[in-house]
Amino acid sequence: MLSGIPCLSRLLCLAAFGVIVSCGAALAQELPPAANRPVDFDTEIHPLLAERCFQCHGGGQSRGGLQMDSRELLLNGGDSGPVVVEGKSGESRLISLVAGLDPELIMPPKGPQLTPEEVGILRAWIDQGLVWHETKTEAAAYVASVTPRRPELPAAKEGASANPIDRFLDAYYALHSVTPSASVSDAVFLRRASLDVTGLVPQPADLDAFLADTDPEKYAKAADRLLGDRLAYAEHWMTFWNDALRNDFQGTGYIDGGRKQITQWLFDALYNNLPYDQFASQLINPSAESEGFVNGIIWRGVTAAAMVPPMQAAQSVSQVFLGVNLKCASCHDSFVDHWKLADSYGMASVFSDGAMELVRCDVPQGETAQIKFLWPEVGRVDPKRSLAGRRAQLARLLTSEENGFFARAIVNRIWAKFMGRGLVEPLDVIENEPWNADLLDWLASDLVDHGYDLKHTMKLILTSQAYRLPSVDTPPDSQNAYVFRGPEVKRMTAEMFLDTLSSLTGAWQENPQFAVPEPPKKKDEQPKPPVIRAWRVNSDPLTRAMGRPNREQVVTRRQSLATALEAVELTNGQTLSSHLQRGAESLLAAPPASPEDLVSSIYRHALQRDVTESEKAAAAQMVGSPVTKEGFEDFLWALAMQPEFQLIY
Amino acid sequence: MRPSTWNRRDFLKTAGAAALSTLAAGYPREARAEEDTERIIPTADTMIVLWMGGGMASTETFDPKRYTAYEPGLAADAVLSTFPSIDTVVDNIKFSEGLSKIGQVMDRGTLIRTYQAADLGFILHSRHQYHWHTGYEPPLSVAAPHLGAWIAKTLGPNNPDVPAFIDIGQRFDQGEAEELKAFHTAGFLGNEFGPFFVPNPEEAQASVQPPAGMTESRFVNRNQLYKSLLAQSPTGEFGSEYQKESMLRSMDSAHRLLTSPAAKAFDLSLEPKEIYDIYNTGRFGLGCLLARRLCEVGARFIEVTSEYIPFKYWDTHEDGHTRTADLKTMIDAPVAQLVLDLEERGLLDRTLIVLASEFSRDMLTEGKPENTVKNQVEVPAVMTELKHYGMHRHFTAAGSVLLFGGGMKRGYLHGLTADERPCKAISNPVNTTDLHATLFRAMGIAPNHGYEIERRPFYVTKDGLGKPVMDLFA
Repeated sequence: MLSGIPCLSRLLCLAAFGVIVSCGAALAQELPPAANRPVDFDTEIHPLLAERCFQCHGGGQSRGGLQMDSRELLLNGGDSGPVVVEGKSGESRLISLVAGLDPELIMPPKGPQLTPEEVGILRAWIDQGLVWHETKTEAAAYVASVTPRRPELPAAKEGASANPIDRFLDAYYALHSVTPSASVSDAVFLRRASLDVTGLVPQPADLDAFLADTDPEKYAKAADRLLGDRLAYAEHWMTFWNDALRNDFQGTGYIDGGRKQITQWLFDALYNNLPYDQFASQLINPSAESEGFVNGIIWRGVTAAAMVPPMQAAQSVSQVFLGVNLKCASCHDSFVDHWKLADSYGMASVFSDGAMELVRCDVPQGETAQIKFLWPEVGRVDPKRSLAGRRAQLARLLTSEENGFFARAIVNRIWAKFMGRGLVEPLDVIENEPWNADLLDWLASDLVDHGYDLKHTMKLILTSQAYRLPSVDTPPDSQNAYVFRGPEVKRMTAEMFLDTLSSLTGAWQENPQFAVPEPPKKKDEQPKPPVIRAWRVNSDPLTRAMGRPNREQVVTRRQSLATALEAVELTNGQTLSSHLQRGAESLLAAPPASPEDLVSSIYRHALQRDVTESEKAAAAQMVGSPVTKEGFEDFLWALAMQPEFQLIY
Repeated sequence: MRPSTWNRRDFLKTAGAAALSTLAAGYPREARAEEDTERIIPTADTMIVLWMGGGMASTETFDPKRYTAYEPGLAADAVLSTFPSIDTVVDNIKFSEGLSKIGQVMDRGTLIRTYQAADLGFILHSRHQYHWHTGYEPPLSVAAPHLGAWIAKTLGPNNPDVPAFIDIGQRFDQGEAEELKAFHTAGFLGNEFGPFFVPNPEEAQASVQPPAGMTESRFVNRNQLYKSLLAQSPTGEFGSEYQKESMLRSMDSAHRLLTSPAAKAFDLSLEPKEIYDIYNTGRFGLGCLLARRLCEVGARFIEVTSEYIPFKYWDTHEDGHTRTADLKTMIDAPVAQLVLDLEERGLLDRTLIVLASEFSRDMLTEGKPENTVKNQVEVPAVMTELKHYGMHRHFTAAGSVLLFGGGMKRGYLHGLTADERPCKAISNPVNTTDLHATLFRAMGIAPNHGYEIERRPFYVTKDGLGKPVMDLFA
């Protein structure tokens, strides 16, 4: 699990255990008797603990602060004190809990209660001195291996989804006692899929056609249509990749040549769906068009050793493509993982013009760094090669099929983009234990098998039953072990929010910094204002407040929770206000509609549902009859502020 | 009246989407139990930074040296100050001519003459300003928070109706604008703690009013429709969600800010004309007035900048003498009045005013005498025109910082500088890290207070090692 989660929900668990303390010992006489014989840990106790306790208290899990991975941990007890008293099962809280003396709080909380015989065996074990043997069946600490794994695809259950993701998850659900909920409505599915793939809500005509389609393959067809809209796809994913590759039209360094854009290269790569191994290779061993990423950001003056451009390249390449954070180890051996200073310098040396001297916490070590790939077992980089030769070798090693982390890192990112949370978290610590290692490894190997076509993986996700589960909303401070029950509720990015507004009104952004291919004009089509999506313009106070990063650092996931300063900008900022004014003008330039019709069509376009009568009445009154520009602006604002508008359920 | 009883917890309960966001995986959290911070008794509740962006020459302001009048043919190396010095109310402190009003309130403050800017290998104003405002030098692999963001995050607002970090006077549309943007942020702490920008104090009122062209009643109606549609939305059926809750809370706190009585503080037209006129030396002076008004309603951290634009304001690459005379006029009356007004209102004791600049200037030395860097300004050895007369190079070996109120000594001079070129610090030098430690300590924050990001600690002073200059405290 993630480290670094503070104590809010732990306090809740603690409170629950607090109730138990008071009743344990007092009611000891009502406990089932201890088994009147020697009990065996290996054959009787451990299997029982493993089956009924370890889901929350084993394998590193510590619900209520209690871990049962060893005798010592068990004796340490939980947040509110000991749970076993050696030799005295009648005074051990564990026993009163599993015996169910307090009907409000029975352990384990799920599944059938322990039988009196089972309780008796546990009592005997405690009374007989808590014998504990190390066993092979205990969850070994997870060690991620660079070697790719190709888990066997489970057979599809009779009548169940044949999608490989669902075949893995069906086994997972059974293991975690999850009963998958019924699928979301088709309208919710299409909203999700459209926003996730193209960053836009579905056009009303597309929604109608989808709802009317009775073909069971219509989900796959919708996925193909969305993924096949190469312009919309590329424009949406520019935002994600600009964040990750810290590319923007403006930023530090551009003023004096200390930085270079890769916008054209990146757009072309996404527009043409460049296979991902080539995508990474062309960034690591770049052309003039793509060199901005590994060249980094250079400020005039002296730069700390841990941030010189070759070290920036090592950090950025490792984080983005491998899910490995070398920032600590750029200055000293890391305290939080196994990466060493020499590893960071090994990678940095690939990008360095000459040999690098190891510098530890700003102190030169008088030692020359040895060039090295993070996992030498995959291969080595020849220090005698030229800079371009070394970068080419690194690109080959990094994208090699022997390097399991390359494909894992990207399928994990894609999973997180669609499902709201990665198979491994944090996304940039790929060596952490996934909640379903088989699924992660299978998706990774499947991506390799399909020529690193990211759209292939996206389609697998889009057409899975899992993607159509109702959304869940896991608080970020949740202490519970994560169990997948469906996609997380997501929030639109600044770009998605503005583009969706524009798609409702036809008023897009102004002053684009980049030209995209114009879609072919249909015959006799009226000239329309150009579709300028929000990623194509410079950041402004509104998009910055809504989370568009300044792209000085690699950002692989934006913070999505709303802030007060952002709400101020939305409420009285001039940027949104002007945008809404232009939107109202654009929409009202069309032949007049009745206020009710206008409200209904906007609701259906924005939220993929019919407006209710009471909503319609309130909104139509605001819009005015005849429709006023101001009234319409204010209606648009009130609608755009709705969680239903900004969230992706 | 100052609502001083608000604390951080109240803010988080009411306004704080931030509470949730900071708990999230991958978001910052407190790095460790902060016993030191717990023990520190703050001497100030509010901080106002008056930023002299561009490099304020100390020998022309608060550390005057031998004066040599201009005449054609004057040798550059003969000139230390281009103004005569004047007395202040403190016996051992002289100022440069043109700062008499601040001189009259010097008995309320402390003057550090030996601030030493970092050696960054090259003079780049925005990079030194980044360093001064965050304690860290870019480029960085993790975005460092601005001083104001550290304080907003750690202490929260004094009054939940007033943003905790307000930045007055800086625009971001001219040279080095991107470099400035890079540190005017909360960095890894997250947007909630970032600056509330008031680029032009005269238009401050607009930042807490309905959008231009919208009447008050229309604004109210619009909000009612929002609430009404919200109440009817069927999303309720999806159950309770923290994402939705965070949106609703943020909208409520924004609306509260915009309708709060405290919002009147942004309206400079409510100030009596005679007081307004004293402050009105331009944007900076009015920024000081706005800062005072915001202090009165419970602001936590305010920065007022003279504004950094390359070659403008304090960035005097030529004509330094004439321009510095104007700059002193710009700051003298408003800074002195700010001190007096806060004192009159009983707020000076708990408000720390910091007047500072990224480095000082000299006519000849670029960087530090022992560690010079590439010259960026051509300086003739012999002056032939008045425009040659002034401090045109960038000097990092000694600069002045003024501190008023907030628990600092009164009428106190800290550090001596040489009376002959190079006029570097010769006793009690104070570097940026220790200056920050001092400011944080005054606010009740230990120098090793920090937050964990990507599983590593990030401290308010570099590596947590800042040492407060205890001599400065009363």
